[in-house]
Amino acid sequence: MRNGNPGFFAGKLDELVSWGRLHSLWPFPYGTACCAIEFMSTESARYDLSRLGSEFVRFTPRQADVLAVSGTITFKQAPILKRIYEQMMEPKWVISMGACACSGGFYNCYCTVPGIDRIIPVDVYIGGCPSRPEAFFDAMLDLQEKVKNQSYMQERKKKLIEQWATILERIEKKVGDEA
Amino acid sequence: MDEISVLQEKFGAEQDARAVDKCVIIAAEKLTDAVKFLKEEASFDVLIDIVGVDYLGMENHNAPRFAVIYCLKNTKNMVRLRLKVQVDEGKKIPTISKIYPIADWQEREVWDQYGISFEGHHNLKRLLNHVDFEGHPLRKDYPAKKRQWLSENDKMLDQLEERLETLGYKVVEA
Repeated sequence: MRNGNPGFFAGKLDELVSWGRLHSLWPFPYGTACCAIEFMSTESARYDLSRLGSEFVRFTPRQADVLAVSGTITFKQAPILKRIYEQMMEPKWVISMGACACSGGFYNCYCTVPGIDRIIPVDVYIGGCPSRPEAFFDAMLDLQEKVKNQSYMQERKKKLIEQWATILERIEKKVGDEA
Repeated sequence: MDEISVLQEKFGAEQDARAVDKCVIIAAEKLTDAVKFLKEEASFDVLIDIVGVDYLGMENHNAPRFAVIYCLKNTKNMVRLRLKVQVDEGKKIPTISKIYPIADWQEREVWDQYGISFEGHHNLKRLLNHVDFEGHPLRKDYPAKKRQWLSENDKMLDQLEERLETLGYKVVEA
């Protein structure tokens, strides 16, 4: 109660959660080609992605929020990418960086996946071959905008309704069996 | 003595008329001996690459459909030499992986991309394409844009595990 301040502040939980989320989007670098080099320079001192709160590049999908796919994905790699996406915790987002990840690029051939959106859902696409660090920043800002508009409480409500529906179903079934 | 003349005399090789560099055409059954001679006596110590060629649809081509080219290099006097073996569909070429160990993977790559099989190879399986792949993509009659999906993860560590076990380690199933 110093200076007469109450020592707490009031706000919506929703806004607090999305504020926390959008300023700590930790990327997982899935780099397979030259786009990954651009991603490295995005991360390093000259451009410095940590200005947006993407401080740490996490090399384990368990601790990452954003999957940054930068580079060509071949069919041999597709199951690996899918598994890494599935290992990530909710909430998770995907950035598809560069022409190869978005559409296969100029590899219109037998071995390249024509766009990673055939395997996993993508939130933000970045063009370019390879994309510049500024483009990656633009994508991160777009992603932050998207995260800001996502409502934690709405998702929670939806999940609770689903849970209650299944519980009610089970209770009704049990009552019906007993009667 | 020039190695090309030795190849011509001893192993029945003939010079490739189309080539501008040192290139000889040799029969498949003489290949192992010729490569052994080139490595041990003519000191061609590096096998740079093994290349497959598919001549399907080529004009004025009267030879078998496929060819396998062995690029060799002598690092003492920096001479390069190519050995060309012509082979038809379904015929086999003897492996040279016992002479040059690097040929192990190079032959696997040629088999993977062209379907030319090598006799005596200890582990002839796909190198670049995945396990569920059907057909051989660099053949001229393979549709260039035909894509094949892989749904299960490819097990790529079998050779490594073999080596670890020979070194005394025990591989535990994950």
